[in-house]
Amino acid sequence: MMNKRSLIQTFAIFVIIGLALNLAPEADSLPSGIAGQSEKGCICHGAIPDSGVTPSITGLPSTFNASTTYTLTVSFTGGPSGTDAAPFNLGGFNLAVSSGTLAAVDERVKIENGEAVHNGIDDDEDNNGIHDSVEAGGEPITSGNDFTSWTVNWTSPESGSTTFNLAVNSVNGDGAASADDKWNTMSVSVSGPSSGIVAEPLEPADPFVVLATLIIVSGVLLGAVLLYTFYRANPDGFNWESFAPWITGWLTTTDHKKVGTLYFLAGFFFLGIGGIMAMIIRVQLAVPGNDFLTQDQYNQFFTMHGTVMIFLAAMPLINGFANWLIPLQIGAADLALPRINAMSFWLQPVGALLIFTGIFSGAAADTGWTGYAPYIVSETAHTGTTMWVAGQIMLVASSTLTGINFLTTICAMRAPTMGWMQMPLFTWSIFVANLMLFISIPAWGVGLIQVYLDRTIGTAFYYVASGGDPLLWSHLFWYFGHPEVYVVIVPAFGIISEVIATSARRSVFGYRSMVYAMAGIGIVAFIVYGHHMFTSGMSPTLRFVTMLTTMLVAVPTGIKIFNWLKTMHKGSLIYRTHTLWALGFLVTFTLGGISGMFFPSLAMDTHLHETYFVVAHFHYVFVGGTVFGMFSGIYYWFPKMSGKMMDEKWGLLHFLTAFISFNGIFWPMHKLGVMGMARRHHTWFVSVDEYTNIPAEMADWNLFISVSAFLFFFSNFILIGNMIKTIISGKKAPADPWGGWSFEWMCTSPPPTPSFDPHNLPVLHDANEYHESEPGGFTKWFAGLMVPEDDSEVSH
Amino acid sequence: MNFYGLMILTAIEVGAVGVDLSAFAESIGATEKQLTFGILWGIGIPKFIMIAAIFMHLYGDADSKILTMTALFPAFFIIVMIFFIGLTSPGAPTDLPAWCRPPSWL
Amino acid sequence: MSGDHGHEHHIEPWGPHDWSHGAPHNSFAPLVMSIGFGVFLYAFANIFVMGGLENISSMAGVMLGFIIITIGLIIWWRQDMSFDGVYEPQGVGAPFRNIDLRKVAMWIFLMSEMMVFTSLFSTYIRYRLGIPNCEDVFLSGEWVEGTTVNCFEPAAHLIASSWFHLAPGAVNTFALIVSSFTIVLALKTAKMSNKKYAKKYDIETANVDAHRSRKVGIYLGSTLFLATLFLTLKLIEWFVGFPTPGPLTDLNHGHSEIKSLFAEGYTIHANAYTNYHYDTSYHGGHDIPTDSALYAMLESGAHPGGMMMADIRVSASTFYVTTGTHGVHVFAGMVGLSYMTFKALRGGYGPSNAVSIEYFGLYWHFVDLVWVLVFPFFYLY
Repeated sequence: MMNKRSLIQTFAIFVIIGLALNLAPEADSLPSGIAGQSEKGCICHGAIPDSGVTPSITGLPSTFNASTTYTLTVSFTGGPSGTDAAPFNLGGFNLAVSSGTLAAVDERVKIENGEAVHNGIDDDEDNNGIHDSVEAGGEPITSGNDFTSWTVNWTSPESGSTTFNLAVNSVNGDGAASADDKWNTMSVSVSGPSSGIVAEPLEPADPFVVLATLIIVSGVLLGAVLLYTFYRANPDGFNWESFAPWITGWLTTTDHKKVGTLYFLAGFFFLGIGGIMAMIIRVQLAVPGNDFLTQDQYNQFFTMHGTVMIFLAAMPLINGFANWLIPLQIGAADLALPRINAMSFWLQPVGALLIFTGIFSGAAADTGWTGYAPYIVSETAHTGTTMWVAGQIMLVASSTLTGINFLTTICAMRAPTMGWMQMPLFTWSIFVANLMLFISIPAWGVGLIQVYLDRTIGTAFYYVASGGDPLLWSHLFWYFGHPEVYVVIVPAFGIISEVIATSARRSVFGYRSMVYAMAGIGIVAFIVYGHHMFTSGMSPTLRFVTMLTTMLVAVPTGIKIFNWLKTMHKGSLIYRTHTLWALGFLVTFTLGGISGMFFPSLAMDTHLHETYFVVAHFHYVFVGGTVFGMFSGIYYWFPKMSGKMMDEKWGLLHFLTAFISFNGIFWPMHKLGVMGMARRHHTWFVSVDEYTNIPAEMADWNLFISVSAFLFFFSNFILIGNMIKTIISGKKAPADPWGGWSFEWMCTSPPPTPSFDPHNLPVLHDANEYHESEPGGFTKWFAGLMVPEDDSEVSH
Repeated sequence: MNFYGLMILTAIEVGAVGVDLSAFAESIGATEKQLTFGILWGIGIPKFIMIAAIFMHLYGDADSKILTMTALFPAFFIIVMIFFIGLTSPGAPTDLPAWCRPPSWL
Repeated sequence: MSGDHGHEHHIEPWGPHDWSHGAPHNSFAPLVMSIGFGVFLYAFANIFVMGGLENISSMAGVMLGFIIITIGLIIWWRQDMSFDGVYEPQGVGAPFRNIDLRKVAMWIFLMSEMMVFTSLFSTYIRYRLGIPNCEDVFLSGEWVEGTTVNCFEPAAHLIASSWFHLAPGAVNTFALIVSSFTIVLALKTAKMSNKKYAKKYDIETANVDAHRSRKVGIYLGSTLFLATLFLTLKLIEWFVGFPTPGPLTDLNHGHSEIKSLFAEGYTIHANAYTNYHYDTSYHGGHDIPTDSALYAMLESGAHPGGMMMADIRVSASTFYVTTGTHGVHVFAGMVGLSYMTFKALRGGYGPSNAVSIEYFGLYWHFVDLVWVLVFPFFYLY
C-alpha cells in the first residue's frame, strides 16, 4: 500500500499533468509567434495594420430585411494617401461578407471570388504625376484606385447575421509597394431575421497553434505514460527517493539495450509528431483552393514533415533496433564504445530541439528537407532555417559516432567462429547501412557547416551574386542523401529477411546472394545520386552516367525480392503479425520499387519529377518499405525486448487497417501525379485549362486520400495501445517464442546486462552456411594481411 | 630519420615557391606555375606516405597490412566525390561530347 | 543482481570508473556535452545573422555552451583517469583479429575524417576550376575600373607573393611536424619496459615511475605548446599581422609591417577587393606581361587601365573555412592533449596503457597529414 506521502506526491504529479494539459492549448510565443492571427489584408503594404488609417462603411441598416439590396459606401481617411503630387493612385479596398452577395455599382469596383475590390489600373507607371494615357495623347483613364470612397450593392440573405470584413489601403501614389503605404481593417456585424438557429461562425484555427498544442499534448502524454510505467514497476516506491535514481539511470545509461529503448521512445514520439504534420497537410489538401494553411505555412509543414520523418523518426527507430539487437545477434557483451553510443543518442533530442525552435517561434525552416541553395542562404528563407541547419549538424555528429561504434562492433566483436558469412542478415544490413551512412554523411556535414556559416558570419559559398554555385549544395546533399535513403531501407531488408526465414521455418534462400546484393546496393548508392538532379542543370555527362547506374539498382533489389519469395516457396509459413507485415512489405515495397524504375530514365523523369507520382513513389518505399519493415520488427522482437508477448488480435487489426488505409493514401497519388498534380504546392485547383488541367474527379481522389490518411494515422495507435497493454498485462515470453535461431534467442527475455558474459562469450557451432573446407584465393590473400592468430603481443 | 626527412622536404617545398624558377621552367618548356605545381605534388606525395607509413605505423607492424587496407577503404568514395563534385561543372547539353549530340548542333 | 554474470553494476555517473570489466558504465558526460553543443550552436547563430553582427550579448550564450561542454569533458575525463589498460578488449575474427578495439575505432573514425576533408577539397577544386582566376581576368582586359568582376583569387597569390606573408604558414608546417615527432617520443618513453627504462636513463628501478611521468608529461606538453603556437601564428596571419624586423625591411619593399590577410582586404565580405597586382599603374605597368591581351589593349588604347575590383567572397570563404576546419581539428587535439599532459604528469601512462598515446597520435598525425595537403594547395599554389 502507498503511504500518505507517496499519495500526496502522486496526487501532485497528476495535478501537474492536468494543469499542463489545460494550459497547453494556450501556449504561444510572441511577437511573431504562433498566436499571430491570419490577417486578411494587403501585407504588401507593411506587415501590420496602421491605426492612422480609418476605414468606414455607411449605408448599413441596424438590422437587415431578408433579400433586400442595400447600397453601401466604403471609404477611408488618413494615411499617406494624397501626399503624392498626382491626383490619383490614392488607395484601394477589399470588402468580404460572410453571407449575402455583393455587386458592383460602377466600374470603380469589381467583384472577385465574391468579394468587392477596387478596379485598379496604374495609369502613371513612370510616376510623373501625368496620366500615361494623356501622355500617349488620349483621354485620361480613371480607375478605382484613384478614389478614397466607393459604392457597392449588397443583397442580404434570408436570415442570420452577416459580418462585413473591410480592408483598405492608403498608398502614397508612387506606384510601388513600399513600407510607406499603410493599411487597416475593420469588421462590423449586422443581424437580420432570425432563422431559429443562429450559427456563430467559428474562428479558423491557426495550424501552428494546432501543431504546437498537439506537440505539447504528445509530450505530456509521453511523460504520463512513462510515469505510469514507473509506477507499475513498483507501486510502493512511487516517490522521489526511488524516482531520482530511476531517471538518473536512464539519463546516464550506456547499456546498449537501455539506449536502444531511448531511441525507440524518441523515434515513436517524432513519428507521431511527423504524422500530425502530415495530417495537417492532408487537411489543407483535402479540398481544392483550401486556405487552412497559407503558402508560407505549407512550406514549413512539408519541410518539417520530411525532416522529422527521416532524421528524427526513421533513423532513431533503426538505431533502436540496431542498438538492441546487434550485440545480441553477434554475441557481444555490449557495443564497442558504450559511452560514445550514449553520446550519439543524446545529440539527437538536443538537435531535435534546435530544429523545432522554428516551429515554436512561428518561422520554421521552409526550404524543403533538401534545403536547396541558394534559397537556404537567402534572407527570405525563414530565420528558423539557421536553427534547422544547426540541429542537422548535431544529427550528423550523432550519425558519425553511431557509425564508428557499429562498424567497430560488427567488424571486431563477433563471437568466436562467427565469420562474415555466418552473420545474421539483420546484422549485415545494419553493417551495410552504417557503412554507407558513415562514408557519405561527412559530405553533407561539410555542406551544412558551409550553409551555417553563410547564414551566420556571412561566408559566400552559395551566394550566386559572388559566384557561388548552388549545384555544389545539391551535390554535397545528394552525395549523402541518396545513400541516406538506402540507409533507411536496408535495415528493413534485414528485418524482413529474419522474419520471413523464421516464419517459413527454414533458412533464408540464397544467403550469400542476399549479402552480395546488400553490399552491391551499398556501393552503387554512391554513384547514382545524380538522378536527384536531372532537372537541375547538372553536367550532362554525369546525368547520362547516373541514369545508367540508377537502372542498375534494380538488379540487387530484385535479387532480394526473389530470394524472399523463394524462401517462402515450399516452406510452411506461420502467419503471425510480424509475418503479415513482412508480406505486406513485399507487396508495397515492390510496388514502390517498380514506380521507382520510371525515374532513372531522363526523359520520363523530366516529365514526372515535380508531380505526386514522386510523392507516391517515395512514400511507398519509405512507409511501405521502411515503416512496414520496422512494424514487422517490432512485433517480432518486442517479446525479446520486454519479456512479454504482444496481443496477436490487436496486431491483426493494426495490420489490416494500416495496410488498407496506407494503400488508400498513396495508390491514388500515382494517378494524380500522372494527371499533372504538382507536389510541394500549398493547394490545387480543378480546372479545364489546357496547361493546368486537373479534372474534377481528382477532387474526389484528394478527399479520399485525406480520409485514408486519417485512418492510417489513427490505426497506428492500435500498435501503441498494444505495446502499453503488453507491458502492463502481457503474457510472459519464453526465450525463443518464434523458433528463431540467431544468438538473441539464446538469451532470456528480456536479456541480462551485460548481454553476454565478456569472459565467456557464446561460440557459434552451426549456422546457415557450411564452412568452406578449402579457402579460396581471396580468403587466403586476405588472411595474410591480418594479425596472426596467436599474436597476443600486438600492441607496441 | 623520418622526422628529418620531413623537415627537409618541407624546406624544399617552401623554397620552390619562394625562389624564382622562371628561368629553369622556361628551359624545360613549362611556365613557372606548372613547374611549382609539379614540385608541390612531387613532394607532397612522399611526405604523405612517410607520415602514414612511419608515424601512423602503417608499415612494419603485425597489424600494418590490415590497417592499410582500412585506411585505403574510402579511396573509391573519395575518387567518386572528386570526380562527381570537384571536377564536373554545370553545362548545357552543348557540353556533351560530339558523338552524343545531333549533327545539326555542331 | 541475477543475470548479469556475476558483475556488479557501477552506477557512478559523475565519478571515476572501475575499468576492470566491460560495460555498462553510467555517465552524465554524453547528456551534458550534447546540451553544451546545442547551446553553443544556438547562441552562435544569434550573434551573427547573414554576415551582420546582430546581437553581441549572445556571446554569453556561446561562453555558456563552452562551459557546459567543458563540464561534460571533465566528467568524461574524470571517469577515464582511472583507466590503466587492464580491460583492453581486442578484436575477434576477420579482419581485425587481435587488434585493440580502440585502435580499430580510431582508424574507422579517420575514414570519416578523410571524407570531411575530401568534401572540402572537392568544394575548393570545383570553385577553383569553375570560376575564372583573377589574374587571368585581369590579363584578359575584360574589366573596367569601378565595376566589380567575379573571379577566384587563391590566397596563395597573396601569401606566396612575399617571404614574410609565407613565414607564419611555413613556421606552422615545421611546428606540426615537430609536434608529430614529440608525440612519437612520448609514446616511445611511455611504452618502454621498466627494466629497459632504468637501464637507459641509469636510474633506480623504484624511481622509474616518477621519472617516466615527468618525461612523458614534458613530451606531451611540448606537443601542446606547438599546437598552441600553430593556432597563435594562424590568428596572427589572419587577423593581426606583425612588424618586419628592422634589417629586413628593405626586403619587404620598404614596408615596416606585414599586414594580416584581413588587413590586406582578403576577407569573406570582400565584394570589392583590390590588390596592387591588379593595378595597371603599379610599377608603371612594368608587371604586365607583354604577351597578354591586356598589354595589347593598353598599347592600342582600347583599355583605359586602372585598378581591377574583384568579388572574391567565394575564394576567401573556401580558404578560411578549409584552413579553419583544419584549425578546429588542431584545437580539438589541444583539448585532448591538455588532458593527456595532466594525466601523464600524474603518472597515468605506463607500458600497460601507453597505446592511449599511440591512438591519440594517430589522430594527431592525421591532422599533420591533412596539413601536408592543405599547405601546398592553399598557401603555396
